[in-house]
Amino acid sequence: MPKVVGLFDSFDNLDQVLAEDVASWIKPVPQIVQIENYLANKILYPQTLPITDYDMKIELAILREALKLNGPKDNDKKGNSLLGDNPFLNITLRKILIPARFLRFVPKLAILTWVFIDALLLNRKKEDWFQDLWTVILTDDTEEIVGTVILPQFNAGGTMEFFLPDKNYKIQSGSLQVIPCISGRCNISYKLNNGKILGKSENVIEVCGGKLGLIIDGRIA
Amino acid sequence: MSQFVPMRVRVEKNAVVRLKRVLTGNGKFNVAVGAQVSPSDIIGSATISSGFRIINLATLLSVAPSAVGKYLNRAIGQRIYRNELLAFKGGGLFSGKKVITAPTDGILNSLNIKTGELRMSFFPRKEELPAGVFGIVEQIDAERGLMIIRTEVSRVHGMFGSGKLRDGILHILDRRDTLVSKQMILAKHENHILVGGSLFFKDAISSAISSGANGIITGGINAIDYRSIAGNRLVFPSRLNNDVGISIVACEGFGSIAIGEDIFEILRAYEDKFVSIDGNTGVIDLPSFSSDSIIRVRSTKLPPVEDEDLISQTGQDLTRFCELKLGLKVRIIGNAFAGEQGKVIAIDKSETVMPSMVKDFLATIESSRRKIQIPVANCEVIL
Repeated sequence: MPKVVGLFDSFDNLDQVLAEDVASWIKPVPQIVQIENYLANKILYPQTLPITDYDMKIELAILREALKLNGPKDNDKKGNSLLGDNPFLNITLRKILIPARFLRFVPKLAILTWVFIDALLLNRKKEDWFQDLWTVILTDDTEEIVGTVILPQFNAGGTMEFFLPDKNYKIQSGSLQVIPCISGRCNISYKLNNGKILGKSENVIEVCGGKLGLIIDGRIA
Repeated sequence: MSQFVPMRVRVEKNAVVRLKRVLTGNGKFNVAVGAQVSPSDIIGSATISSGFRIINLATLLSVAPSAVGKYLNRAIGQRIYRNELLAFKGGGLFSGKKVITAPTDGILNSLNIKTGELRMSFFPRKEELPAGVFGIVEQIDAERGLMIIRTEVSRVHGMFGSGKLRDGILHILDRRDTLVSKQMILAKHENHILVGGSLFFKDAISSAISSGANGIITGGINAIDYRSIAGNRLVFPSRLNNDVGISIVACEGFGSIAIGEDIFEILRAYEDKFVSIDGNTGVIDLPSFSSDSIIRVRSTKLPPVEDEDLISQTGQDLTRFCELKLGLKVRIIGNAFAGEQGKVIAIDKSETVMPSMVKDFLATIESSRRKIQIPVANCEVIL
């Protein structure tokens, strides 16, 4: 027997998501009553798909807030993080875990990963340098490594030069950039002006690549 | 490739069911188990104690609380009827005369000379309970004032709602896509079940409660208003126990969504007829007004009553799945074209990328006024 499936099946507390918080992700900011009703209809009819670009923006905003609500909390010290205390973020192994079935509802992996970063890492206090690198994994019956999220620690006005074997990139603080790197392992070197990655302003490292590639998020100070 | 979509029962025509009739106060039933009843039969009567009212006479008369007694026109313990003189103060040099009349029929209970407040209790009312339906009495629970009648109804399944089982005369306020504001709710709607349009605003719901309406049937309701009547939750378990003094059934969803043509059509056929509405299960029962229905009621046996759940629709999942095929009647459930109904006239054989970048098979739906293409995931087959 078929079953109704939707993007938000993984969340049984969707009604606790605040419409005001959802609206804050959308430009121009919509009326709160519109978001309240959209969210409520999503609970009532979970299988529906967004047709317009604007509806997709609302879905992504709801997803951000649902992930925030169900993500690890900074003050939660009771969980056993070694065993993976959260279905979407493994802090010990620095993995972002994205259910593969979400791609049916948000087909662009880079956008989906961006949503996960916004929800789970954007306002998260880093506990050590190692949290500058997060491996992105699509989870299903098996796990597939698809890329790496790099979070440089910029000071005000910092810039970064980023070198792949075949191409160089310049990244400003406050920006987010997706860099293709489809091979399983990517050798990269970087040089930061007024900032650090893994505690160093200049280094050569090897990170995981894949169909997502590398996301360098300079928005997190 | 076969496309499977949810299939929902929205209207069950001519179904023999058990209907509850409840006395609104202490009372007794006049008929016995096995009796055949018709809509106008009085099956029971109850005495209702309507409570009391506090009137601040000191404020109304503009006098000190201790002085109120000398302006009172009736002694404490006496009866008074609506609009009879309750208190009078003659005009003075700097003030006009004050005339206070009784706001309703009642008995003057007591006067508090410290606050100047008069306590007036309403007369107990005797209320008769008509059968409302053609049917056969199956069970009587005198203790709870509950009677179960086997009858024939057309049963409408809304999406969700709030409020206990209530009944009344169905009144259609306007078109099925009208936004209902408080100005549309009138005093004459007392004890009625009001059928609105696409959205009942919060002030219209409050106004309906104030005017004594028993129920509201609407296409949509704002989620924030639903939260306020459903314990601030947006979950839809099979059993709810919410009640804010009125029963509400939303037939389509949240926001402004016109009542579906299938439901509105049958509601229109029942205008000015007796209906019952259970908001907590989202069920509207439209009892047959044809006396012939008693023949079918007599010949239909229902499973024995072991639990009250058998009487209502609680706990039943009415959603099943079926393959989407040409010619089926569907309802659109997504954000775009929400609530629109039509027939499937084409189903794509390959997926299409929509402006949202999501891929799905598109179905072409022909409604009464247009043809639209929507993803199969946003279709629901209706019965």
